Amino acid sequence: MLDKAISGSRTYYMWLAGLLGVIGVGFGCYLYQLTNGLGVTGLSRDVSWGFYIAQLTYLVGVAASGVMLVLPYYLHNHKVFGKITILGEFMAVAAIMMCGLFVLVDLGQPMRALNIILYPTPNSILFWDMLVLNGYLLLNLVIGWSVLQAETKGDTVEKWVKVLIYISIPFAISIHTVTAFLYAGLPGRHFWLTAIMAARFLSSAFCAGPAILLLIILFLRKAVKFEVKDEAVRSLAVIITYAMIINIFFLGLEFFTAFYSQIPGHMHSFIYLYKGLDGHGKLVPWMWASSILAVFCLALLIPPRFRRNEKLLPVALVSLVAATWIDKGLGLVVAGFIPNPLDHVTEYAPTLPELAISLGIYAIGALVVTVLYKIAVEVKKDALDHH
Amino acid sequence: MTEAEKETGREKRYGMVIDLDKCTGCGACMVACMAENNVTARPDETDKRLSITWMRVYAFTNGKDFPDARICYLPRPCMHCAGKGGHGHSPCVSVCPAVATDYNFETGIVSQIPTRCFGCRYCMAACPYHARYFNWFDPVWPKGLEMAINPDVSLRMRGVVEKCSFCFHRYQRAKDKAFYEKRAEIEEAEYQTACTQACPAGAIAFGDLDNEKHAVYGLSRKQPGRHVFRLLERLGTNPKVYYATSHDWVRNAADRTVNDEKAAR
Repeated sequence: MLDKAISGSRTYYMWLAGLLGVIGVGFGCYLYQLTNGLGVTGLSRDVSWGFYIAQLTYLVGVAASGVMLVLPYYLHNHKVFGKITILGEFMAVAAIMMCGLFVLVDLGQPMRALNIILYPTPNSILFWDMLVLNGYLLLNLVIGWSVLQAETKGDTVEKWVKVLIYISIPFAISIHTVTAFLYAGLPGRHFWLTAIMAARFLSSAFCAGPAILLLIILFLRKAVKFEVKDEAVRSLAVIITYAMIINIFFLGLEFFTAFYSQIPGHMHSFIYLYKGLDGHGKLVPWMWASSILAVFCLALLIPPRFRRNEKLLPVALVSLVAATWIDKGLGLVVAGFIPNPLDHVTEYAPTLPELAISLGIYAIGALVVTVLYKIAVEVKKDALDHH
Repeated sequence: MTEAEKETGREKRYGMVIDLDKCTGCGACMVACMAENNVTARPDETDKRLSITWMRVYAFTNGKDFPDARICYLPRPCMHCAGKGGHGHSPCVSVCPAVATDYNFETGIVSQIPTRCFGCRYCMAACPYHARYFNWFDPVWPKGLEMAINPDVSLRMRGVVEKCSFCFHRYQRAKDKAFYEKRAEIEEAEYQTACTQACPAGAIAFGDLDNEKHAVYGLSRKQPGRHVFRLLERLGTNPKVYYATSHDWVRNAADRTVNDEKAAR
């Protein structure tokens, strides 16, 4: 099947070459970081996790999105998703690979990274996060590949693969729950110390991930005539809409608890994000952009007339992805450190090398998605020609 | 059982009591700590967010204008949190995925093993006191200063976390000496941290918080007319560094979360 990845149109090769170029630049910047230390980033004593870990958090959500296709198809026999579950599984593979890379570039001594496996520490949530993320990666790789292989031969999926598929459903929930626990269990970080953190992560994952997936599906439908039924697009859009409403609702719950109780520690980070604290407010325009985009995308998603409109749907999805990315990929991790437990505000902004490295990792993800989707699309086309 | 026998083998709880009314903010403790523990300084140390200061002196004011303006200095080493109930559930120890930090029940000291650390900085996110520092760059000694490296303290490399160890190497030295002299226990004066000895105002007392004969025993307990407190006490981290002051505003300013409350004696 791999041969399908190396035969394509000119545009396909140009796209791959472009991605490789971005990866090259990112890798060069990483070598620079590796030789000089993490001091080349914008991180500091006060904000010791930043852009890298925030991207990890966002991408765990993207990875968990596949379950929004797998669950309706395998548990509720929602047949129209049958053709596209594979895309969700491959998306998970690429997203988890990016997660792993974002952790790796954030380590001060990456050459010691294997210590986390060689000397297990069940007391640390990071250890469990490593377990569930790698488990989920392996599951999706095996499932995706086996399902595709069965399809090439015209067989049905084997029983043991089905068992793995059922296991992958709670696994998808677990990767996001455990990642939320990374933050939600730390004393003195009021912004993160909230019981609803894992639920918030899941709700944003189940709207943002499928939104990215649906955007790619719409693109594939146009660009390579990949056949997806309108019904599949519509039911995925409904899932995204519900998840986004729940996501915004959960954010509202946080606001209520913080501001009705008037507990300073609970309010400070929100004030920093949306209004600025002690004269510092780098993230304020971003957060308001996120809020406006969130309202805008819901306005386009909730009325069925707009949601079913082929032209408006991509606009809504892009604004949804942007809104949730700002919320999780920028605000959530950094605001946990601001103000610090001693009530000082130290701001953070990523540096150029930091951004280039991140872009390089995203390009690796895009490369993996491109190659896997290319294979999947070709296999499905062949299957259609044969039968 | 004699008193000496009772003392033998008992778990110690080494801790500090810092008298904020005595501290002049001179910074001698910071200098002594850096020299003792092989902490390097970069050529440009203007950005304090990237500096490494195991012991750090904070300054804060009462926010009033002259003639009522007051200033207070607060030295902050690692708090060596024992966690609730003293079970060693310190915020940093519980999150470390590399077994690089550990709670020592024999001494109550939270250790840091730089050669195991892979620099994920989870402990820094977990430590509410900012006592943990990351080596953002390669440690470099200005020419000549490498001659003054303390052979008792291991050097750290780029990309790992480090922090105050209550001069644990001094404890080991004292234990070795006692062993050689066929004594089971060490004296209060035999194990003192570098910052304690360097303080010209005698503001820092160090010793076993459970040993009645040690100065910190009395100082860390309630005294009439004085506030004896620990930082961010409400988080339940159970630190072993106490602060003492007789000024209400100092006690409040050291913990901004109680700012709006009346200081009760």
